Amino acid sequence: MKRFQPPPPKPDATGTPPDRDAVRQETVQRIKRLRSKSNRGLWAMALFIAVSIVALGDFSILPPLPPSIRATLGKPPSAIMISGALVLYTFSAIILILSRMMGGKEEYSGFAHVGYLAAFYGFYHFAKALNENFWAVFVAGVTILGLESYHIWNFCNEAIRREQEVLDSIERLRKS
Amino acid sequence: MLKSFAAKATVPPAIAVTGFVVVCCILLYSVIKTDMLNDAIEHETNLAGTIVKSARYAMLKDDRETLRNIIDNIGQQKGVEHTRIFNKKGVIMFSAHTEDVNKLVDKKAAGCIACHTGPVPLTSMGRMEQARRYINEQGHSVIAITVPIYNEPDCFNAACHVHSPNLKLLGTLDIGLSEEPLQKTLGTLRGRMIVFCVMVLILTVGGVSALLLRNVLLPIKELANYVVAIKRGDANRKAPAYRDEIGELARSFEEMATRLTATQNESKQQRSAEGDGADSRS
Repeated sequence: MKRFQPPPPKPDATGTPPDRDAVRQETVQRIKRLRSKSNRGLWAMALFIAVSIVALGDFSILPPLPPSIRATLGKPPSAIMISGALVLYTFSAIILILSRMMGGKEEYSGFAHVGYLAAFYGFYHFAKALNENFWAVFVAGVTILGLESYHIWNFCNEAIRREQEVLDSIERLRKS
Repeated sequence: MLKSFAAKATVPPAIAVTGFVVVCCILLYSVIKTDMLNDAIEHETNLAGTIVKSARYAMLKDDRETLRNIIDNIGQQKGVEHTRIFNKKGVIMFSAHTEDVNKLVDKKAAGCIACHTGPVPLTSMGRMEQARRYINEQGHSVIAITVPIYNEPDCFNAACHVHSPNLKLLGTLDIGLSEEPLQKTLGTLRGRMIVFCVMVLILTVGGVSALLLRNVLLPIKELANYVVAIKRGDANRKAPAYRDEIGELARSFEEMATRLTATQNESKQQRSAEGDGADSRS
């Protein structure tokens, strides 16, 4: 989800102390939000690991799907089709994340990827091929979410550094 | 450390390549495993069909001795865990293990529960559905095939008229092959794929990282050290001698430092001259 973040206002040397204090407060708040945002990757990774733990047991803790619903859904796709889709998904996800890194964009879609990966677990489960393909989905998830986490962490750290420079400028103006 | 230029340049590609290669290798192994398993089942199904066809004449002639001989010979083959024929009531009539003859098979056993889950056992199953994978009493992994022996017109129209035309199923042939050769082959394949995967990762991630480190990161590090030295006032430090963009940047820094030093020296000289002039005037 892309969020618009206006660039930090440059400190004005002719500003009065109350204005500098207001800018300082806003900057501190932005730094807090950025630090909170940088931890989103860890939450997504934790959620994915929780889903993986459930999938490792072949979803045995969940109630079985009623036969009527299963009949409505129809025959699941074959394991080969699911594997092909997983390869395509992994490739496209990695390419998108790397392109976002290259472009310096703020977009983060880790939780969406958790949903997609959970869907792959589900498809393999219904195709009775989860045991053979669990580690493929897990490695794909760790790779994609690891890249997403690194991307958002790196982006937030750079933004925090810029905000810190604003604070340093305000401090220098205050001392002068 | 993750904030360094080297980490930013190497960590994301390394994660991406490693993850993608590992995922592809796992999926490829899974597909190959499925194909090999299907081939094994196909082979075993064909073998079971051959046995049924071979035994058909003996059954038609009610030649029990010949039928027993056929079953014994099949059972002595390497890799065959069991070969037996049940009648409709589930009693083992012929078996490679003679101690099993005339025993009633437990319908809830590992190899039987698939067809006998409901009140009426399944009589028609697909080729792959006939296959069962389980661990037998000896602890061996087994792929077993169950082939029904149907009541054909030759059976109920024979001179003996033993079987009623209404009877659909006469008995069942059950043959189990050991899964150990397949598992051994899969283990070998898995090891080779792991070796291949490691080699690919070493070549791609390691090689690219090494080249990047040697050709980009180390020169940048030298340039950074040079700039730090200039900042500390070390005018005697020589700029890194490279012929690429980093070298040009280093030479620009050197020129800038030289000009800065010259400007500083001129300022000092001017201040000294002004000081001398003031002293002479006083």
